[in-house]
Amino acid sequence: MIDFVQNTIDGVMIGSSYALLALGFTLIFGVMRRLNLSYGPSIMIGAYLGTLAYVQLSAGPAVVIAATVIGAVLAGVYVERLCFAPMAAGAGIASMVSSFAIWMQLEQAAILVLPHHTYPFPPLATGAPLTLGPFLLRVDHLITLGCALALSAAVQLLLYRSRFGLALRAIINDPVAAHLVGINVRTAVMLAFALASAVGGIAGYLVLATDQQVTPMFGMWATFKGLIAMMIGGLGSIPGAIVGGLVLGIVEAQSQWYFGPQVRDLFAYVLLFTCLVLRPGGLLGEPPTREPALGRGRA
Amino acid sequence: MDDYLVSVLSNIGVISFVALSAYLLLLTGEISFGQQAFFAIGAYAAGIATALWGWPLGAALAWGALAGGTAAVLVGLPTLRLHGLYFAVATLAFAETVRLLFEQFRYQVTIDGELVGPNGTDGFRGIRYIFENDVGSLQFLGLIYALLLAALAAFVLLERSRLGVAFRMIGEDATLAALNGIAVARTKLLAAGLAGALAGVGGGLYAHLTTYVEPRIFDVMLGVHSLAYGLIGGLGTAFGPLLGVLIDIGLLESVRVFAGYRMIIFGGLVALLLILRPRGLLDERVVHRIRRAWFRLLVRSHSTERLNRDLP
Amino acid sequence: MLDVANLVTAYGKIEALKGVTLQAERGRITCLLGPNGAGKTTLMMSIAGILQPQRGSIRLDGTDLTGLTPARIVAQGVALVPENRLVFPQMSVRENLLAGAYQRNDKAEIAADIERMYERFPRLRERREQLAGTLSGGEQQMLAVARALMSRPSVLLMDEPSLGLAPMVVAEIFRIVAELNRDGTTIFLVEQNAHMALQVAHHFYLMEQGRVTFSGTPGQLAEDEVIQRAYLGARRTN
Repeated sequence: MIDFVQNTIDGVMIGSSYALLALGFTLIFGVMRRLNLSYGPSIMIGAYLGTLAYVQLSAGPAVVIAATVIGAVLAGVYVERLCFAPMAAGAGIASMVSSFAIWMQLEQAAILVLPHHTYPFPPLATGAPLTLGPFLLRVDHLITLGCALALSAAVQLLLYRSRFGLALRAIINDPVAAHLVGINVRTAVMLAFALASAVGGIAGYLVLATDQQVTPMFGMWATFKGLIAMMIGGLGSIPGAIVGGLVLGIVEAQSQWYFGPQVRDLFAYVLLFTCLVLRPGGLLGEPPTREPALGRGRA
Repeated sequence: MDDYLVSVLSNIGVISFVALSAYLLLLTGEISFGQQAFFAIGAYAAGIATALWGWPLGAALAWGALAGGTAAVLVGLPTLRLHGLYFAVATLAFAETVRLLFEQFRYQVTIDGELVGPNGTDGFRGIRYIFENDVGSLQFLGLIYALLLAALAAFVLLERSRLGVAFRMIGEDATLAALNGIAVARTKLLAAGLAGALAGVGGGLYAHLTTYVEPRIFDVMLGVHSLAYGLIGGLGTAFGPLLGVLIDIGLLESVRVFAGYRMIIFGGLVALLLILRPRGLLDERVVHRIRRAWFRLLVRSHSTERLNRDLP
Repeated sequence: MLDVANLVTAYGKIEALKGVTLQAERGRITCLLGPNGAGKTTLMMSIAGILQPQRGSIRLDGTDLTGLTPARIVAQGVALVPENRLVFPQMSVRENLLAGAYQRNDKAEIAADIERMYERFPRLRERREQLAGTLSGGEQQMLAVARALMSRPSVLLMDEPSLGLAPMVVAEIFRIVAELNRDGTTIFLVEQNAHMALQVAHHFYLMEQGRVTFSGTPGQLAEDEVIQRAYLGARRTN
C-alpha cells in the first residue's frame, strides 16, 4: 500500500511536467487545429542552448533557464513561420508532415553542433529528499510540481484575464469570427506558438535539470509525452491537459514499479489507445461531434 | 550492377511497400502513423515461417501478408469510429504497443544445434533463406520489384474501379459517401486490411533482405516517413509515394556528399515543397493533366490513323 | 459610402463573383437579394476581407479597402454579422461583446456600450454570463449583431440574419435593423427572405450567378417577381 501511495506521489510530481508539455501542445492545437510534431524538438533546441551556456560559459541556473526558454521560443516561431503560417486552410496533413520534416532538421542540427550522446544540465536541487511520514519527497520533484502549478495558473490567468487571452480563446472558438471582430489572427497565432514554446521550455528545463542531462532523444520524448497526455486528458482542453499529464505520470510510476521500465511505456500506449477508443474526447474533453479534421475546412 | 546499387534499389523497393500502405489509407481519408506495425508483423511472421518452420519463401510472404492484413482489420474495428487526429494518434499508440510487445516476444527453436528465433530486444537473427537457397541479391531484387509492380498494377486497376472511387469518395466526405450507398465501415475495413497486407509483404521481403530484424527498426520514424513519402511524391497516384521514397532513399541517402547534412537539407526542402504543393509533387491536379494530355495524344494518333485509312 | 466596383472573386478557377458593382448609400438600408449560390456570402466575405478578390475594388468613402486584412477593415469601420452568426460558443455573452470591441482601448466607453447593448437587447442582459453556444438561434443572432456593433462601425454588413429563425424572431430582427438605421447606422443587408427585406430597404439589388441583375427601389419591381428571382433566380426580363 505504501508503495502504491509513494508511486502515486512520484507520479503526480513527474506528471506535472508532462502536464506542462501537454499544456503547450494544447495551446498550439487549440489555435491551429493541427498537430505540431516539432514541438519537442524545438524545446530541445532550447535545451541545447542551455547546456551550451552551462558547459561553455559555466552559467548559473538562471541563465540556463533563460537560454532554454529563448532557444525554445525562437525554434518554435521558426517552425510556425515555416510549417504552419504559409499553409492554406485545408492543408492540415501538409502542415503536420512539414513539422515532421523540420523535426528531423532540428534534431540533426542539434547533433551537428553538439555531437555527444549526452550533455550535462545543472541540477534542480541537491540534497536528501524530505520525508513525510513513510513517504519520500524528492526536492527536485517538489520544485517541478510547484513550478508546474504556478505556470498553469499563470497561463489560466493570461487566457481569462488579458486581452491577448481573449483573442486566443476567440481564435480557438471560431477563427473566422475572430477575424471579423478585428483580431489580427496571424500575429496572435504566432504569439501563441511563442507562449507554448516558452511553457515547453520551462517544462523541459524542469525535466532535464531533474535528470541532470540532455540527450538528442529528448525532442521526440517531449513530443510524445505532451501528445499522449493531451489526448488522454482531452484534446484542446487546458484542464484536460493537466489532468492527462498527471494521469500519465501516475500510470507510468505504478507500472514501472510493479513491472519495470519496458512495460511502463507499454502501459502508457495501451492507456492512450484505450482512452481513444472508449472516450476519444479524453477524460475531460467533449466527445468529438465534428471531426478535428486536422485543419480541413474554414480558414 | 554493383552491390551498392543493388542494395539501395532493394531498400527503395521494400520501403515502397510501407509507403503504399500509408497511401492507401490516406485515400480513404485517414492518416495512419502506424503502418510500420504491420510491416513488423509481416517481417516477423515471414521470418519465423522460413527460419523456424522451414516454409518456402512464397508461402512465408503470403503468410506475412495475411498476418499484416488480419492485424490491420482487428485494429481497424475498434478504431472505425475515430477520425482525423484521433485516428492518427490511435494508430501511433497501436504501433508503439506492437513494437514494445515485440521487445518482449521470445520464440526460439533449436535448429541444427542453434537457437533461432525472435529474442525480444535482441531481435531476430538468422533469416537466411535466400542464402541457404542460393538466391542471388540480383534475383531477390527482381522478386521485390516483381511484387512491387504487381502492387502498382493493382493500384492502377483500383483507381479505375468502383472500389477505388468508393475509397476516394470516403476520403472526401464519408457522410456523403454513405448517402450515396457506399458501405463506409466495410469499405474502410477492406482498405485497412489491404494496406496491412501490403505492409506485411514489404516486411517479409525486408526481413529476408537484411536477414535480421529487431523491434527498434519499426519505430515511429518509419511510420511518419511512410506517410511523408506520399505527401512529398504526391497523393494523386500510387507512383507518388514511390517518388517520395526514391527522393529520400535514392537521392539523399546514397549521395555521400550530403551525409552529415542530409536531414537539414531534406527537411528544409520538404517544408518548402509542402508550402507550394501541399498535396505533393504528383498531386491530383498534375495527375489529371497528365492523364488528359496522354488521352489527347492517344485520341489524336487514333483519329489520324482513321483519317489516313479513310482517305483514298 | 460603400462602393463595390467590378469585383471578381474566385475559388480556384471558379469565379463566384463575375464583376459585381453596387453601392450602399450612407444612412440607408441597402439590400442584396438572390438565390442560393448567387455569390451573396462570397461578396460579404470579400468586403470583410476574409476572401481576397482577384479584380475590382471596394471603397469606403474613397478609402480603398481591397486586399486589406479583416482586422484592418474592421479598423476602417466596417463590421460584418456573418451568415450562421458565428458566435464564440465557449465564451459568455459578455465576453462575446468584449471581443467585438477588441480593437478599442477606451475601457469606460466599452463598458457603457455593453450597457447600451443590454438595453437594446434585454434578453442578452438576462443571459450575460451564459455561454453563447447555449443560446437560442434568435438570441445568437442578436448577440452577433450586438457584437458587431461593439466596434462602432460606420457600415454594418449583415449576411442572412433571418436564416433558420422563426417568423416572430425574424420580425424582431428586422425591427432592430430599422431601428439601428434610424439611429444613424448605414446597413448593407444580404437576404433570402425577400418579403421582409423589401419592407425595410431603401434600395435593393438582385444578384444571380455572380452578377448584379437588377438595381432599384422596392416597388420598382413587383414583389412576386422579386421573390421569384430571389428564390429561383429566374432569367432576366426587361
